[in-house]
Amino acid sequence: MPYHEFDCSKCIPERKMHAVTKGAGEDLTSCLPLGYLNTIPGTISERGCAYCGAKHVIGTPMKDVLHVSHGPVGCTYDTWQTKRYISDNDNFQLKYTFATDVKEKHIVFGAEKMLKENILEAFDAFPHIKRMTIYQTCATALIGDDINAIAGEVMEERPDVDIFVCNSPGFGGPSQSGGHHKINIAWLNQKVGTVEPEITSDYVINYVGEYNIQGDQEVMLDFFKRMGIQVLSTFTGNGKYDDLRAMHRAHLNVLECARSAEYICDELRVRYGIPRLDIDGFGFKALGDSLRKIGLFFGIEDRAEAIIAEETARWQPELDWYKERLMGKRVCLWPGGSKLWHWAHAIQAEMGVNVVSVYTKFGHQGDMEKGVSRCGEGALAIDDPNELEGQEALRNLRPDVIFTGKRPGEVAKKMRVPYLNAHAYHNGPYKGFEGWVRFARDIYNAVYSPMHQLSALDISQDAIPGDTGFMTRRMLSDATLPEAVRNDPSMRPYTGAFDPIAAIRAKTDYPEFPRRSAIEAAE
Amino acid sequence: MNCEVKAKDRVGTINPIFTCQPCGAQYVSIGVKDCIGIVHGGQGCVMFVRLLISQHLKESFEIASSSVHEDGAVFGALDRVETAVDVLLMRYPHVKVIPIITTCSTEVIGDDIDGVITKLEDELLAVKYPDREVHLVPIHTPSFVGSMVTGYDVAVRDFVKKFATKGEPNGKVNLITGWVNPGDVTALKHLLAEMEIDATVLFEIETFDSPLMPTGDAVSHGETTVEDLQGTANALGTIALNRYEGGKAAEFLEKKFKVPAVIGPTPIGIRNTDTFLKRLSEMTGKPIPPSLVRERGIAIDAITDVAHMFLADKRVALFGNPDLVLGLAEFCLDLEMRPVLLLLGDDNGRYADDPRIKALQENAEFPMEIVTNADLWDLEDRIKNKGLELDLILGHSKGRFISIDNGVPMVRVGFPTYDRAGLFRHPVVGYAGATWLVEQIANTLFTDMEYKKNKEWLLNVW
Repeated sequence: MPYHEFDCSKCIPERKMHAVTKGAGEDLTSCLPLGYLNTIPGTISERGCAYCGAKHVIGTPMKDVLHVSHGPVGCTYDTWQTKRYISDNDNFQLKYTFATDVKEKHIVFGAEKMLKENILEAFDAFPHIKRMTIYQTCATALIGDDINAIAGEVMEERPDVDIFVCNSPGFGGPSQSGGHHKINIAWLNQKVGTVEPEITSDYVINYVGEYNIQGDQEVMLDFFKRMGIQVLSTFTGNGKYDDLRAMHRAHLNVLECARSAEYICDELRVRYGIPRLDIDGFGFKALGDSLRKIGLFFGIEDRAEAIIAEETARWQPELDWYKERLMGKRVCLWPGGSKLWHWAHAIQAEMGVNVVSVYTKFGHQGDMEKGVSRCGEGALAIDDPNELEGQEALRNLRPDVIFTGKRPGEVAKKMRVPYLNAHAYHNGPYKGFEGWVRFARDIYNAVYSPMHQLSALDISQDAIPGDTGFMTRRMLSDATLPEAVRNDPSMRPYTGAFDPIAAIRAKTDYPEFPRRSAIEAAE
Repeated sequence: MNCEVKAKDRVGTINPIFTCQPCGAQYVSIGVKDCIGIVHGGQGCVMFVRLLISQHLKESFEIASSSVHEDGAVFGALDRVETAVDVLLMRYPHVKVIPIITTCSTEVIGDDIDGVITKLEDELLAVKYPDREVHLVPIHTPSFVGSMVTGYDVAVRDFVKKFATKGEPNGKVNLITGWVNPGDVTALKHLLAEMEIDATVLFEIETFDSPLMPTGDAVSHGETTVEDLQGTANALGTIALNRYEGGKAAEFLEKKFKVPAVIGPTPIGIRNTDTFLKRLSEMTGKPIPPSLVRERGIAIDAITDVAHMFLADKRVALFGNPDLVLGLAEFCLDLEMRPVLLLLGDDNGRYADDPRIKALQENAEFPMEIVTNADLWDLEDRIKNKGLELDLILGHSKGRFISIDNGVPMVRVGFPTYDRAGLFRHPVVGYAGATWLVEQIANTLFTDMEYKKNKEWLLNVW
């Protein structure tokens, strides 16, 4: 096994099996790091907690809900306004967050009574919202408050409200991933099957593991609507609480982020016989194939093909413009969990970049399997990276750009590596055909920033050019391009709007497809 | 009485103003040179605080976690602290100071961090690192007590308590800044330099604003040394600018080492900066130099340009750290504005006898409310549902949607201010801070007038 031992981690030998360099001819049988094991204390790992995995990642994107955390105020504050999961109801879930504000006296005497007062207060403050999620935290798990019982009491007293409880304290498991699992299963156990939906199409899906980062979900829903597919629910970005109670009536679960939401799909298959179809909204090929697979499942492949043809014609010339200019750029693909494999192949094939490293903070070995297999020779794969290892890797790999989180992005900035936010995006959405071009555009803007070029100059030692007052991205990116490529009329840079989601929200002209029952009746 | 002081009348918190104690302790820890803190608890208690600080300062800081998982929560997690200290020391050869910062989970399970520190000193440090200078500092910051503000106060005290050592008088002033920005430290050090006063600044965080260098090796970290902290016991006196962020340390030094303590005022605005300089002068015998008379004059000149013309009688709501809010409210009154609502985001019992609050109560000439244990719903609910009319909000970025959704212009101030560029670089204290604040306020009101077409022609001839 080609383990990669970091110099900075020689003193903690157990780290050695968490990184591999993919050698010539190696595959997963010979090249796979350990994953999802307990964190070594004091390494300055980037991992979060199981509370945030449940509440912040999966719970809070639900848009028509009061999201309450039962605990001291910090958990709530810290997981509020740090993501970009928008919604089409004026971002209610981004704006409002609720903490029961557990204090010392409650730790000593119990916090159940005040929890109930909190619930009533929150509903009274927002009388138009009738749904609530409550998240346990470390403190209230340890004092043993029975949140489910209190929620049950309130639901009996106020029949018009509905409350979901998620018991996923921060210390539960090695990372945020433990919380993903817990909330998946809790939702299924408590809520699925408690609402009967109106079925309006012959083709009914749940869209699962999609969090509407900068509007991703709305982009994908646009495709589904154009195919005449009814999306019963989205788990959970821009999703409605009551829609998610009706998940059991879908014909198919279309799964995007398998890391965070495969659990509920697998259980929906076991309990309700709903098949799981893994798809991928990132990249022209992967997205096209995904729409085809869904089309194939329902026998409406032609509808998928029409969309693919239309979107490709519109956006391929723009993607290609960037591909020519990003060719061979070295990328560190350092996201949280699933994007390492969602993106690894697609950005190499369609943007021409070279992924020199992948990492995952909270992914499991399965994510690494997919990630490593989609990387080329020489790629460094790191599980649960820490501060020093990240810096060592950046020094050795010298990437042209890094895709990672906000704070690690600041580390990269100091090391003169341009950064794009892999979790919240820079100027997304990144899903959809247009979104993928936006991603390429953002990479281009980062890599060819004139300011990045200037940052390398040491004015005390280097020769200062002094012959130009400015540089443009284009002057930098096109300097070495052949004439034929530079002026190729079949390609162009991005022509979309600052906010492409506004147009999608305003759209009403979706095709109407007659139901099978109507056709049969007519015959 | 025009000014009412009351606690929030709800049990829960909707949109909190503060996060919890460990955040304050972590913010202190990054101000100390060669220091990496270990937060004893779940990983989110560190990960999110590092994110928050990086949002505010656009820089990353190193803070470690003991990574308490389920087994630790059940059986005790002191072994995680032991491992964390060893791993940190092995991999960061420059590290000398390691605060062990507790959280709600490890306080509830009752992990004895003071005991484990003694054990580590006797065993790990003595055996494995006998020739290395290492200081372990216990800091108890359960999240269910106080807020990030009290966490800051406790941590400053605990660092001082750990290191302060009686020696020869060093003729210096201890200046405890409270929770401020790099720009504030620059402004304060400028005032000290003009006064020719040698001071130990707690904490030296100017370097939080660090460069992007061609060498690619710059890092952001504070520069207060162990020696600085040791010397605090031998100073002429301590000035803690903020009663609630550093006051405890000043009191400790006075009680234990007879170092006279002056607590406050927060030098926001002209008047409070005057008082600050007076106290510096009294403590050191150094006169206030003509250069500061001129600097003060420039600030008053700038303020005079806008105050009675544009700021008079504007109604302002303020929220955030208590010393900041009270200092700003006092300054607003000097600017002829009306600070009608002050939100203090925790339940600190000492607000009851804060002389600034008493003075506001005695002298308010218009209806004013001061809410303790407040949340941001206390502001939004009053605007949306209770008819509160405002011209301006002064507060941090977590309140941004109140401003956006209700059309009330807002000047970002305090921590965090992630939705505006570079605010950490500018001071709110001293004469420079007064000028900056007033001009920010004026320009924000001007933009709002133009955006709303509300007497925007007024500025044609200003």
